[in-house]
Amino acid sequence: MATVEITNIEKYYGGYHALNDINVDIADGEFVVLVGPSGCGKSTLLQMIAGLETITGGELRIGGDVVNYLPPKQRDIAMVFQNYALYPHMTVGQNMGFSLRIRRDPADEIKAKVERAAKILNLDQLLDRFPRELSGGQRQRVAMGRAIVREPQVFLFDEPLSNLDAKLRLSMRTEIKELHQRLKTTTIYVTHDQDEAMTMADRIVVMNTGVVSQIGAPLDLYDRPANTFVAGFIGSPAMNFMDGTIQGGKFQAANGSSWALPSDAKVTEGQRCTFGVRPEFVEAGGDVAAKVIVTEPTGSETQIVADMGGEHFTCLFNERIAAQPGDTLKIGADPEKCHVFDIETGLRL
Amino acid sequence: MQSEPLDPGLRKPWNFVLLYKYLVLGFVTLLIIAPLITTALGGFKSAADLRTNPFGLPTVWHWNQYTDILLGIDYWRYMGNSMLISAISVFVTLLCSTLAAFTFAHVKFFGKEFIVGYLMVGLLFPVATAILPLFVKVRDMGLLNTYWGVILPTSAFSLGMSILLMRNMFEKLPRELLSAALVDGCGYIRFFWHITLPLSRPILATVGIIAFVASWNQYVLPLILLNSEERYPWPLGIMEYQGEFTTDWHLILAFVTLTVIPAIVVFLATQKYIVAGLTAGAVKG
Ligand SMILES: Nc1ncnc2c1ncn2[C@@H]1O[C@H](COP(=O)(O)OP(=O)(O)O)[C@@H](O)[C@H]1O
Ligand SMILES: [Mg+2]
Repeated sequence: MATVEITNIEKYYGGYHALNDINVDIADGEFVVLVGPSGCGKSTLLQMIAGLETITGGELRIGGDVVNYLPPKQRDIAMVFQNYALYPHMTVGQNMGFSLRIRRDPADEIKAKVERAAKILNLDQLLDRFPRELSGGQRQRVAMGRAIVREPQVFLFDEPLSNLDAKLRLSMRTEIKELHQRLKTTTIYVTHDQDEAMTMADRIVVMNTGVVSQIGAPLDLYDRPANTFVAGFIGSPAMNFMDGTIQGGKFQAANGSSWALPSDAKVTEGQRCTFGVRPEFVEAGGDVAAKVIVTEPTGSETQIVADMGGEHFTCLFNERIAAQPGDTLKIGADPEKCHVFDIETGLRL
Repeated sequence: MQSEPLDPGLRKPWNFVLLYKYLVLGFVTLLIIAPLITTALGGFKSAADLRTNPFGLPTVWHWNQYTDILLGIDYWRYMGNSMLISAISVFVTLLCSTLAAFTFAHVKFFGKEFIVGYLMVGLLFPVATAILPLFVKVRDMGLLNTYWGVILPTSAFSLGMSILLMRNMFEKLPRELLSAALVDGCGYIRFFWHITLPLSRPILATVGIIAFVASWNQYVLPLILLNSEERYPWPLGIMEYQGEFTTDWHLILAFVTLTVIPAIVVFLATQKYIVAGLTAGAVKG
């Protein structure tokens, strides 16, 4: 187990600036999720930690030692790939024991370790099968098994669940979480799915086009997003944003609605800003009028997309609301649960 | 429950396609088999019989023409020479081309594309154009009339095609396998040995067979580079039956028939590796 310190890391692919001044400190035993839209540089960062990509600038430390120039095999890390990357010509057991064989561990020790890992992952019946004879979920577990037999300092996961179907994804999520609680190995987990990030992480690093947007515990990001990008990325359905100005101590949106400000917002009269309301904090019975476009009841909740001065506005109610398209709803929101951002920089005010 | 009879309109074209396939395949098979059989039968005929009745069954079966060849020492010497030259050529070709192809597929270095292009240009030149310079080089190296004198040029001529095929295969292996192996503690050499080679068996077998057949059948190179009969491979050995004024065609046919056998054995031994789908299951398809 080890800490991972990422300091001022830069990455250029030729002239393309893929990562810009990345700083993340990861504590021993922590489960950190890198999340962001596709192409923002998550895999690049992970590959640099693994030693599979060169580091253009900055410093990477694992367990306190600078490892910028160490090859992957000297970094004592294990990685699980999106496509599993199992060795097709080896059985499950050989796949899992391969790194130990390369390390020249004694055969009986390899066998014992592989069997122990197989038991943890429910693979003990499959040790003699080949990868092509396994289902997607089983292959995924073999890939994890290959990582855990090593007992490495750090686990790296690159979108390990994105090839699985929705149901399997949920159960594997739980399995990975359980595994982490059991092994307590420092883990860096990459995903583009904010839901996965929220449910699994001790701490989330939100990335956007090569920069770190915000780092924090899942609920901190949810409660106090540092900018509009994080606010819109974390939480589902996504936050509603409205542009407007501060007038008479209230937010006056361009779409005609008017909202009370949270008490900690540092704004001045007449300032132009962006106002954010999460759909799940919209309450029925306020003084903002919205015209219903579609109603999507799920049983436990009702999601309503409404028209507000020509803009879409999503509401999520915990109760059943019998609204028809065309009806006008009166809604509001607890001001303490709303967010105000600078209209130019997108930063939280 | 009785299932509904299929719509005849759906079944008929399928049967027709199958029939068509069998017809075409049968025709191609015939094209290949007919000369082989004619050759084998010709070996049983007397010279006169062969001249008057080239395609039919022998009027008298001369088994002794085959047994004489098999019991004589020359046949085995020619076979042994051919086997030795071909086997070592295949080994040298595979060794050099796998290493070169792996380097070209995985290592970035200055001038790589130029070197690859240079090797590919080699594909354009037939052996005949290189004969003279080759002879001079081999003579200067003191390898005239030695096995190596034939083996090295033979391998060199196979290299272009082999490297091309193997490099394509190596590049098609999922990149993540390399990443996984590097993380698992391999360097490039271990990755080559433990992952690339086992996964490339189909292409190794293919390249091996191509190189083997090319070397087994070659005539010009050994003709130029060997001059003592002790080292002749079988295509040169045939000359023994070619007199100054007459050619014993019936004996040549019997001899040729017997030389095909080792090539067929090698093919049967390696063909089981030429199976598709070895890489199935590496990554999610
Ligand atoms: N080998 C490469 N050469 C050039 N550009 C690359 C390379 N790998 C990734 N990129 C670029 O870097 C950016 C980040 O890629 P990546 O880290 O794979 O994104 P993510 O994993 O977040 O989806 C992308 O715009 C991608 O096109
Ligand atoms: Mg990625």
